[in-house]
Amino acid sequence: MDPNEVEFLGEKQLVTIIPSFTFNQIHLISGSIGPFRAGLPTQVPIWLAVNLKQQQKCRIVGQEWMDAKLLIDVKDEEKTSKFFTKMPSDHYMDETLMLLGVAPEDIPQAEEIRTIVKDLWDIRMSKLRTSVDAFMKSDSAFAKLDHLTPMEINCIRPSLPHALDQRDRIQTCGSRPRDSQDTQRS
Amino acid sequence: MSLCHSYMPNYFSIDDILSSQERVSCKIEVKLPGLGYLDVSSESPDLQSGTKLDLPHWLAYPMNSRTHPFVSIEVPKIYKEAYREILTADACAVALNKWSCYFYEFGIHLAQYEHSDCNLIQDLLLQAFKSRFRLVMDWAHNTGTDPTVGLQLPILERKLFLTGRKSRCLLISWLKEGGGSIETSEMVANHKKRKRAELEDENT
Repeated sequence: MDPNEVEFLGEKQLVTIIPSFTFNQIHLISGSIGPFRAGLPTQVPIWLAVNLKQQQKCRIVGQEWMDAKLLIDVKDEEKTSKFFTKMPSDHYMDETLMLLGVAPEDIPQAEEIRTIVKDLWDIRMSKLRTSVDAFMKSDSAFAKLDHLTPMEINCIRPSLPHALDQRDRIQTCGSRPRDSQDTQRS
Repeated sequence: MSLCHSYMPNYFSIDDILSSQERVSCKIEVKLPGLGYLDVSSESPDLQSGTKLDLPHWLAYPMNSRTHPFVSIEVPKIYKEAYREILTADACAVALNKWSCYFYEFGIHLAQYEHSDCNLIQDLLLQAFKSRFRLVMDWAHNTGTDPTVGLQLPILERKLFLTGRKSRCLLISWLKEGGGSIETSEMVANHKKRKRAELEDENT
């Protein structure tokens, strides 16, 4: 998958905005949004929030977890834990990039949050690389990794699945019975 | 990026065809009448038994069949004891491409022969592949690497390197520039769907 496609999936997450206009409820396939009352917070998908923000029609209230203190705690836990810890959001990386990209002035401590999330991402990526390597070197046929987010899974595609395919090919090459091939040929 | 599959040999795969061209040294066991032209140095019309020849894998393999072996084969030196020790010492330090461009592919072919050394080839390939995977993955994920570095890898690893690198570049550009527009997947674009206009033409 393309990172853009993962981001597209992440755009379905809800975010709170404070609209500066009044409008009726909008009925969409995925559900109804609104109604919008100027000054009253309401929940909308990120794609709509980004669009409205670009038209200067709303103010984005950051996600609950977009708080420097909370994120530092999450980062410390991630650093000390041997395994992956649960992230505050399944699309933490894409949400941060989208929301901070379009509305850095609406979210307090935007720069700090950006840095911490990037650190978090780097820690998790290096952990992922180490565990992928350990998994390849071991003979095990499966591994269980909890709490990986879609964007992180997408990072090791297609390298890891392809490498496992090739490992499987090499593993099974000697066991192919030769006699059956000979009889097919004759 | 469209859906990409990993490499699998098939009838039309050029890499598979090329890898079966690699030479295996053979010793002729039975006198083969009329095949003297295969051995350039001999003048007799027949291929005498005991002659040593380098035959491509696709020819050597059927001639080495278990029931009527016309030839006996010898495993190429890159899959033998001395080279195996080099790989065990540090597989990452070896430029496998210099040994053979089709190191893994040819090895997989060789593992099918009935020969005492051939049983060890599979283990050798597996160990080499496992220990070199980290190297290939790191090269692919490190954008600072020279893109031509892939040429030092044998074909099988080169394919992994190139696909890994491609997806890495997409990720980097996403991180830098944010999402662009999503394109129609190739499969959908090529899907032969009957257009509404055509349907209406048929009805009238």
